[in-house]
Amino acid sequence: MKGFGYLVKEGLKNVYANRIMSIASICVLVSCLVMTGVAALFSVNVQKIVNEVEKTNETTVYILRERSEIEARQIGNLISNIENVESATFVSRQEAMEQFRSTLGDQLFDRVKGNDPLNDAYRVVIKDLNKYDDTVRQIKAIDGVESVNDRREFARKLSIVSRLINMISFAVVGALIIISLFIIANTIRATMYSRRFEISIMKSVGATNMFVRMPFLVEGMVIGFISAALSTVAVGLLYNGIRRIISEVAGTWIEVIPFNSIVVPLALIFIAVGVLVGFFGGFISIRKYLKKEGNEILGW
Amino acid sequence: MINFDNVSKTYPNGTHALHDITLHIDKGEFVFIVGASGAGKSTFLKLIMREETPTSGEITINGNKLSKLKKRHVPYLRRHMGFVFQDFRLIEKMNVFDNVAFAMRAVGESSAVIKKRVPYVLDLVGLKDKLKDRPSELSGGEQQRVSLARALVNNPEIIVADEPTGNIDPELSHEIIELLTRINSMGTTVLVVTHEHELVREFNQRVITIDKGRIVSDTADEKTYGGDEDYDEAYDDYAEDYRDSYSDSPEEAEEDEDIDISSYSAAHYADEEEDEYEAPLPQYPDNVVITPDQ
Repeated sequence: MKGFGYLVKEGLKNVYANRIMSIASICVLVSCLVMTGVAALFSVNVQKIVNEVEKTNETTVYILRERSEIEARQIGNLISNIENVESATFVSRQEAMEQFRSTLGDQLFDRVKGNDPLNDAYRVVIKDLNKYDDTVRQIKAIDGVESVNDRREFARKLSIVSRLINMISFAVVGALIIISLFIIANTIRATMYSRRFEISIMKSVGATNMFVRMPFLVEGMVIGFISAALSTVAVGLLYNGIRRIISEVAGTWIEVIPFNSIVVPLALIFIAVGVLVGFFGGFISIRKYLKKEGNEILGW
Repeated sequence: MINFDNVSKTYPNGTHALHDITLHIDKGEFVFIVGASGAGKSTFLKLIMREETPTSGEITINGNKLSKLKKRHVPYLRRHMGFVFQDFRLIEKMNVFDNVAFAMRAVGESSAVIKKRVPYVLDLVGLKDKLKDRPSELSGGEQQRVSLARALVNNPEIIVADEPTGNIDPELSHEIIELLTRINSMGTTVLVVTHEHELVREFNQRVITIDKGRIVSDTADEKTYGGDEDYDEAYDDYAEDYRDSYSDSPEEAEEDEDIDISSYSAAHYADEEEDEYEAPLPQYPDNVVITPDQ
């Protein structure tokens, strides 16, 4: 399109000329995008954990503490005899303690040393994951089994929580997007009114509506783009902060996806959403304007 | 070039602005449209600009029936016309150059063409030394000439001036009309809407008089429209004016000849740098069909 550079320049000028409103729009859009981003990243991480958990066919069966090791071995045989059980490996409470030490680190472990809180256990590998629930029920029925570490149950709970958070954040993000649209539309309407004289001249010399509209659409899209860039940085800082805390608290138990590996799609989504919201914000206001008073040349 | 066939306009609020207007303006004509305020001049202009559509009748501009013109094609119709307004409508925060360039930018012209064309047109209206001035630094007459340059810059076939002398000193008014005459002599059709009979009388041009929404006289065919007394009365007033103007006309005509048109022709700029922009851009043929150019 001829004169495209000029239109883009005019759009940038609009953002600057109306900077207070532009900043307000950017703030609202950034908070919207950051919320979207945090919710999305949370759900991506939860999904990853859920997937991993659901994929493992290994589960831990704890034996009541009052049973001796011999008794425990007998229980182990019963477990192995269940049809869907591939193997059952005995893990004595001493071995469990050693594992615990390596997870906690020596320093922390020294403080809890002396107690003997753990159970004997079996690491059970299951053949057909489709029959997982049945198999767990059978194991639980064996006398002397204290509990089965049903990680799937945990996964199910986790995904329910995640879905709930997703729903809430969808609602909040939806509301925020509507607010952003409204604020951007108003921002652009303000620029438009300040330029209505120029618009009437443009119309009188035969500028097409598209041409009149362009600087305002560019204005919206620039606001959207700036918001997307700021949001990416903000979410990155926030995410890495949370990731550090999680890795300190949970150690290697929960592995949070590194930000670097998701920054590109995240930024692209932000830019797409920001630019679209800006575009439509501009579109709504200029359309309304051009339909009514903006159509007049002599009369305004 | 401009045809009105039995055009009437009634606004939604019931105002009958124009009644059964029929007129024909040829390419290259210079026409004054006169009438008191409220006579329907503004409606007439709005119809030409296609800002309003007639209630009945048909308007044809450049062979295009406006009733058949799609809304999205209206901008392309307007590119065939240049408008000059009473209040100049210059953008105060822009200098003279940018005000004129604005009209070219608005139709997507490239900056290379703008840089050559704008100084040429400003020279044409005698403002080549004021490129960097702000409108507020200029006199009314100069501001109107900037506005005229802006109307001319996209090389329209028709110039429509709405009370171009309404906001400027009487002595400068003459100058503006003279400039319009010169532009007319280069082949551009010129329509001047005014209520200043004095000024109209000074120039021996076709005059169409509108009163209460009807054409009451047209010096091109010297016939009376309408029949009721008011119109006859109005016609008598104007007829008197025109008889005066005709009696003045021999000298006037001579004076007109004294205006050195050649000073604005190509030869005058032969030694200028922008040789290729001396002549106006090529005129469109009469039967040009208005379509989007992209």
